[in-house]
Amino acid sequence: MRLVLCAVNVFMGALLFAIPNMARRELLFAVPVPPDLRESRAGRHAISMFRAVIAAAVLAGVCALLLTPPELLNAVATAVPVAILLAGGISFYRQNRKLAPAAVQFTRPREAELSAAPEELPRFAWLAAGPFVILAAAARFLYLNWERIPPRFPVHFETGGQPNRWAERTTKGVYGPLLFAAELCALFVAMALAGWFGSRRSRSRTVMLGGMIAIEYLMALLFALIAVQPLLGIPVWMIAVSPIAILIPLLIVMTKKMSEPSEPMDPTPNECWKGGIFYYNPNDAALFVEKREELGYTFNFANRWSWVLLLGLALVIASALFVLA
Amino acid sequence: MMAQRPRIRIDPASGVPAVRQIADSLRVLLVEGQLVPGTELPSVRRIAMELGVHFNTVAEAYRQLAAEGWLDLKHGRGAVVVARAVPAVNNRARTEDFRNRLRGMVAQMRSQGISADRIAAELRAMAKRVTRS
Repeated sequence: MRLVLCAVNVFMGALLFAIPNMARRELLFAVPVPPDLRESRAGRHAISMFRAVIAAAVLAGVCALLLTPPELLNAVATAVPVAILLAGGISFYRQNRKLAPAAVQFTRPREAELSAAPEELPRFAWLAAGPFVILAAAARFLYLNWERIPPRFPVHFETGGQPNRWAERTTKGVYGPLLFAAELCALFVAMALAGWFGSRRSRSRTVMLGGMIAIEYLMALLFALIAVQPLLGIPVWMIAVSPIAILIPLLIVMTKKMSEPSEPMDPTPNECWKGGIFYYNPNDAALFVEKREELGYTFNFANRWSWVLLLGLALVIASALFVLA
Repeated sequence: MMAQRPRIRIDPASGVPAVRQIADSLRVLLVEGQLVPGTELPSVRRIAMELGVHFNTVAEAYRQLAAEGWLDLKHGRGAVVVARAVPAVNNRARTEDFRNRLRGMVAQMRSQGISADRIAAELRAMAKRVTRS
């Protein structure tokens, strides 16, 4: 189990390691820089320094996980990923500040097509219904095999793999994970639609929609596996690792498509980016804009709908206390 | 091949207020006949999003053109191009003002390094388009 925990943290470290490669060539640590800066000595140095901090944090975390006594393992297993994320965040921000003086302002004219025709979603958008079918199929499977479900089954495990929380064969206990996953998927569909209709037309927007649908599948598969686990006895480590099977190819494809896009960078004003991460521009009608720190889109926090969607996310997460309890 | 739909363009770095750039771009399309009566324009929201400006900026440009008689505003959102009777103005002061603005623009272009021949060619092409529309 310690080795699985180490592997998960190393994977997380690898994702953080790749952050400088997950942005457009003209961005480095969320700072818009001249095209040649990334390959320059200063650019390479910034990337090396960022990665050195991540590597040190992962190494320290792995050592802690391997050497810590069993009675402290639970606490250490929770603290290590938080510490790695924190180290990554601080290191990113430091490099962002260091490169800020070299920032350039992207300027290019913006165009709007004068077509009043309603905007249409791409054809593949219907795939967003698939995860709900997966969840419904899992629910049907559980319903048909209700008698085979153990009266009491484990739903939470210690880092040593020992169960520490159980659920009973009740409607809530059995269907709770599926209901929660359905909520998450519905939220992702809402986000995907808001992203499509609330951002500027671009090819990146299509990639973002595809990415959101892929994450929706990931959620549905993960929770469907969790829900049927008491019946099929799927090993817990397999459930924990299975999202990676979707996540890695998804990240590779999205990084490839978004780091070398066929369209120029959206010329959002530099002064509207707080720490290179948060976009706040009351004079921009867009709800979503292209991120600067990595691939994907982020909210325009000056748009009130961004807060409505965040509230929806908070409510879905909070509902876990009732649905999964 | 499908004809390309008309587009408007603004340059945030130009220093010219966005509302004026939007109104001017639309007026050019209207005068040149690329937007004919009955054409429905996109909603204020859509244009504002594409151009990265506030809704009110686009709404104000639409209002200006509606006041000039080019557009009929629909519930304050989209707009429809309407047939506009050209006002019969024979005002020397207006003509003089127009000439001064044109001269100022030509001077600005020359100061930016655009040759006199190129400017003259642009003006000739524009004059042709004006007489056709």
